[in-house]
Amino acid sequence: MKNLRTLLIVGGGLMVSVAALFLALQLLEGDKSFRGSMIEPSPPAVDFQLSQADGTPLKLSEQKGRVVLIFFGYANCPDVCPTTMAEYKRIHSQLGDEASQVDFVFITVDPNRDTPEAIGEFVHAFDPSFIGLTGSMEELLPVWQGYWVGRQEPAHEASALDYEVNHVAYIYVVDKEGRLRLFFPYGQTAEDMTHDIRVLLAE
Amino acid sequence: MKKSEIRLYINRFLLILGLSIAAVWLVSELGILLQQDENTARAPMMVEFVIPAGTAAKVEAGEAAPSIPDDLTFVLGDVLVVRNDDAVAHTFGPLLVPPGTSASMPLNEADHFSFACSFTPSRFIGLNVKSPTTVTTRFLGIAFAAPPTAVMIYVYSLIVFPFKPQAESGAVPSKSGS
Repeated sequence: MKNLRTLLIVGGGLMVSVAALFLALQLLEGDKSFRGSMIEPSPPAVDFQLSQADGTPLKLSEQKGRVVLIFFGYANCPDVCPTTMAEYKRIHSQLGDEASQVDFVFITVDPNRDTPEAIGEFVHAFDPSFIGLTGSMEELLPVWQGYWVGRQEPAHEASALDYEVNHVAYIYVVDKEGRLRLFFPYGQTAEDMTHDIRVLLAE
Repeated sequence: MKKSEIRLYINRFLLILGLSIAAVWLVSELGILLQQDENTARAPMMVEFVIPAGTAAKVEAGEAAPSIPDDLTFVLGDVLVVRNDDAVAHTFGPLLVPPGTSASMPLNEADHFSFACSFTPSRFIGLNVKSPTTVTTRFLGIAFAAPPTAVMIYVYSLIVFPFKPQAESGAVPSKSGS
């Protein structure tokens, strides 16, 4: 009887210890699965060099070691682009100090109106660290093609300023190695995106 | 009120509670049978679709695209995987799938979504993400629905079939109508 009691105490203690160890490992490991759309195998992100608001060029391949978020839009966009920039701002805020390891990039799909000054004014209204990129049609076309950016601009006079451009609404995520790892579809929560960026920063 | 009277009230409630559990369980089973084609009575799993090579060319030429229904039902927690064997990028629901890659995404929000799709005839696809119908959810459904049902019927029964007031001699009250 005494042996049985000892056995039960030892067995129970062992089970509780194993459960506690498992729980501790789970907590330490954290949730490393992505919540965005993961691409496998991850292709190398197509390199580009475009002008920032102050005229200095930004080359993607020089950003290795940093996580780069890329969104394609335009400054006169009435809905999706400002909403996405607001999400950028929320992610930036949620990341805290880690935001310094992330580039928040906005590339124009409307070079006709998005001069470096115009795109700079647009992105900096959300955060001074956000990067607006523009260029000539010749510079931008290969970038759009390289990122499968569907873009439709209605027929308009060259001088027209009041028109809308249809475009994709994904946020592209380039990891520290320069690989295209994730897409965030429009509507993905800032919390989910922040989680995934943290996973990439921890790699 | 005497103990014998209280026992009568309790017995009636227990009987009604038992019948309510049975009735709610029956309704639950019928509901599950009616939506069995949506197959949500399963654990979350990986659901894969393949975009065959040449799909974009076929769509361009007006030929039949891969036969995928315009509305798909998933269980919350499913992982949607789309493999693109075509030479061009495709959009499929929330996924943008570069050529020669697979895109995957967990479906963590129960809702009905409508997305663009680059190869369905309508160019749109609906994703219906539902909470899985597991043994636990079925049990919880019964546990939440049966007690209020029982209380409602019990109150109704007390109004329609009240116990007769107990005689002064101390005899056990009898049910009305009996």
